[in-house]
Amino acid sequence: MKIVRRDLVRDGPGSVKMVPVDSDDLWFAYNLIAPGDSVMAVTVRKVLREAASGGRDAERVKLKLEIKVEAVDYDKVGTVLRIRGKNVLENEHVKIGAFHTLEIELQRPFVLRKGVWDSLALDVLHQASDPGASADLAVVLMQEGLAHILLVGRSMTTTRARIETSIPRKHGPAIAGYDSALNKFFENVLQAFLKHIDFSVVRCAVIASPGFTKFHRHLLLEAERRQLRPIIENKSRIILVHTSSGYKHSLREVLDAPNVMNMIKDTKAAQEVRALKDFFDMLSNDPDRACYGPKHVEVAHERLAIQTLLITDDLFRNADVETRKKYVNLVESVKGSGGTAHIFSSMHISGEQLAQLTGIAAVLRFPLPDLEDIEM
Amino acid sequence: MPRKVFDGVDYDDGYDDDYDYDDLDDADYYGKAQPSEPVKETIKRGTWSCPICTYDNDESMTACDICGVFRNPLPHMNNNHDKKTATAKTSDSSSAKTQWSKTNNVEDNNHVKDGVLRLQANNKASASSSISKESIPSMESSSKLSTGNEQLGDQVSGASSRRNRMGEGTPSVEEIRPQSHNRGMSKSDLPSKSRAPYKPEKWMLPEKEGSDLNQLNLAIVGHVDSGKSTLSGRLLHLLGRISQKQMHKYEKEAKIQGKGSFAYAWALDESPEERERGITMTVGVAYFDTKNYHVVVLDSPGHKDFIPNMISGATQADAAILVIDASIGSFEAGVDPTKGQTREHAQLIRSFGVDQLIVAINKMDVVEYSKERYDTIKQKLGAFLRLCGFKDLSVLWIPLSAMENQNLVSASSDARLRSWYQGPHLLDAIDSLQPPTRDISKPVVMPVCDVVKSQSTGQVSAIGKLASGALRSGSKVLVMPSGDVGTVRSLERDSRPCTVARAGDNVSVVLHGVEETNIMSGDVLCHPEFPVPTAKHVELKVLVLDGSAPIVIGSQLEFHVHHAKEAARVVKIISLLDPKTGKASKKTPRCLVAKQSAILEVVLNGSVCAEEYSNCKALGRVSLRSLGRTVAVGVITRLIED
Repeated sequence: MKIVRRDLVRDGPGSVKMVPVDSDDLWFAYNLIAPGDSVMAVTVRKVLREAASGGRDAERVKLKLEIKVEAVDYDKVGTVLRIRGKNVLENEHVKIGAFHTLEIELQRPFVLRKGVWDSLALDVLHQASDPGASADLAVVLMQEGLAHILLVGRSMTTTRARIETSIPRKHGPAIAGYDSALNKFFENVLQAFLKHIDFSVVRCAVIASPGFTKFHRHLLLEAERRQLRPIIENKSRIILVHTSSGYKHSLREVLDAPNVMNMIKDTKAAQEVRALKDFFDMLSNDPDRACYGPKHVEVAHERLAIQTLLITDDLFRNADVETRKKYVNLVESVKGSGGTAHIFSSMHISGEQLAQLTGIAAVLRFPLPDLEDIEM
Repeated sequence: MPRKVFDGVDYDDGYDDDYDYDDLDDADYYGKAQPSEPVKETIKRGTWSCPICTYDNDESMTACDICGVFRNPLPHMNNNHDKKTATAKTSDSSSAKTQWSKTNNVEDNNHVKDGVLRLQANNKASASSSISKESIPSMESSSKLSTGNEQLGDQVSGASSRRNRMGEGTPSVEEIRPQSHNRGMSKSDLPSKSRAPYKPEKWMLPEKEGSDLNQLNLAIVGHVDSGKSTLSGRLLHLLGRISQKQMHKYEKEAKIQGKGSFAYAWALDESPEERERGITMTVGVAYFDTKNYHVVVLDSPGHKDFIPNMISGATQADAAILVIDASIGSFEAGVDPTKGQTREHAQLIRSFGVDQLIVAINKMDVVEYSKERYDTIKQKLGAFLRLCGFKDLSVLWIPLSAMENQNLVSASSDARLRSWYQGPHLLDAIDSLQPPTRDISKPVVMPVCDVVKSQSTGQVSAIGKLASGALRSGSKVLVMPSGDVGTVRSLERDSRPCTVARAGDNVSVVLHGVEETNIMSGDVLCHPEFPVPTAKHVELKVLVLDGSAPIVIGSQLEFHVHHAKEAARVVKIISLLDPKTGKASKKTPRCLVAKQSAILEVVLNGSVCAEEYSNCKALGRVSLRSLGRTVAVGVITRLIED
């Protein structure tokens, strides 16, 4: 995200002009823009004009609109951000108060004006503008008959492809069937691999599977045979990791593996996975020192017991102003009292898991056994 | 003999107990209104019960005294189902009259819901009027009712079962569509559930005893490299299933590859990959005969990564052999709680309802047949098996050596072993196992373990073990969840064609009329009129195994039921169960840790064929795995409709 102009007061009103560069930036914009803010951008609008003959003529006019946001919609599949709201800027074609839907596009600047730039929003802005290297990890999660190709980005994990076939067992004479089915499966995975994984963008590709699925060997052999340049050149950037299954939640194990961890240890995704793992470890070893659910966490916070706070950005986004303020205060006070707060991106595997666990969890400094009795 | 040590929860016993006795008392347990034993209740003759107000009217009355509902409002309805309704009534076997009236009331609600008030009233009334001797064992009808329950997925399944029974053969059948979510099937496609109680045909029932050997499915499990495949190979060779020439060939090939000691294991591990790596990856199936049984050997993989395959094989088992490596260090590695498979296999086997276990302590030749070693192993493992729930009486301990052929099919010739061991050898032990009970009288249910498409003939065949019922060439079968109907072209058992396959038989069914893409491992073959329900949202009663991470709401696990596996997510933890009493002790706990039993709800990513445990044991057992470990084992208590 390129920040062109910044004009704001901390915890006060202000505006920022920015240009999204890649799809991750759209995610950041999604987190920043809340109902009540106003966004100004260049957009296209269909305008009806009365022609001389009396017939109406529709014309697409490019104009600069500022709208007061009512609803924000992020399209995961098409990676498009749509903002719907009422027009507030005087314009010859569009009346004030008319509804319009803005589409935030890549490489097009827009200005975001907010009433209050709280610490969270500033955090997001800071992260977005950080030119640090993106995590970008491509993972092929496989097991016999099922494969997922995922792209782990800076703030989101997208599923690029999913391949599922039925592979017969080997029973005596039917062994040939097994081999051919397996080869066909590998072929499909290879095609998807070539199509979706672009080595100029990703740092490395991980092939993860239980037991041992001969895909890596097959990949290299085919690359040699068919002279596939991308794979041959990047042979060293393909790592093998062992997981327990090919289902999507095994991504956790991939990110946990030491050789993968080394590559991505400075990125958010790895930190999130580690924090969540710590939480689960604490829950199994000493359940009184871990709690989840808004009520429990609040109670724990009142007693200044929170050491690490885990929260998803989902909670901020969908909440009304009051709740959002409450959560922001929570995060700030935890940080202030010497604890750490991790904000999980809900598009990542660990964020999804945390979201299913009510979205907010905490590791405490000292055990609080009476939390059990409080209703969740 | 009272059980001296009882520390853990017994998987199978606990579940059985609940289902037998609780249904009548506990209003919470629904779907189990049918007790498994038929209790022949005499219904008061000379009266009929009004379906609306449950008042017992005199036989002579044509309409109910209290509410005025006609007894037989539509005469033409009676003709086609009069005979059938008769049989149904007799299986109203719940003893309590209250049960009867309770379901009546509930049934009324359903009637109003469905708008087939009069028809139902009519049917029920006519049924009560014509009480005749039952022509079928009431077992089937109750079981059919149970399957009927699932079909409708009704909350008040007890009532619906009554209704099913009553509405046999009437037009109301069409209106009551099962609401299962099927892969590629819409509601209207599913064949409507026949209300006729299932009647096994004559060819299904076994012939006179003694003419045919019982089939016994024997699973061989144990830690990796304990000698399972070698043991099976040896047994097959000694019993003449593998010719000398074949054996020579294996030996030669094995030596070439540098795996001379694996020669016997190669009889089971047929794929090049398994041979190269020296392990078993999928369950190897072989057949041999002993004095009392046709034994089907299911040689399972021991490696941690292939446990899903082992689960697939173990669901078919009636009894199991747990193979232990007696050599120093290997045994300890095997029983290690985190890295060893011995414990996990034993727990899984127990959770599949296997209660007869033979512990074969292999590689005794390495430890010089020492008695002390045998005793230490027996003591250590015995304690653990008792914890799992195996009764001491049903566990047999056999020291043997597969490599040296000691104590396998005949008493050992080695002096050292003979000096202190006089027990039975392995084959004798297998013979002494109790024959398992078979559900021949229920509609056919066969979970598909494997689908093979023969290249040469282009025929699709499904391999698996029949959980209940019987099949023969020409029978129509329904593949769930895809909904395809096909016919059985031929049956094959042990590479030999056979005419009839009954519950408990492990057969290969060649199907006609089913596309290869519509049938997969994990599907279930069933009777077209008694389809097996599918579900995406289930309620389970589980026991959390030790050594696993805590389960919280949102935990993502792998769900294994018979041969199907799906990714699943815990959505609700309903209550904790007290291990001793089995009653709910705490509502909505925060998380589940090891050794706790609880009731929870999971949502699956895709739908699977499953049934409540009380209706069909083979389709009701589940195991939950995560991060390469089995986290919990349990049974399905309820299928939830979404």
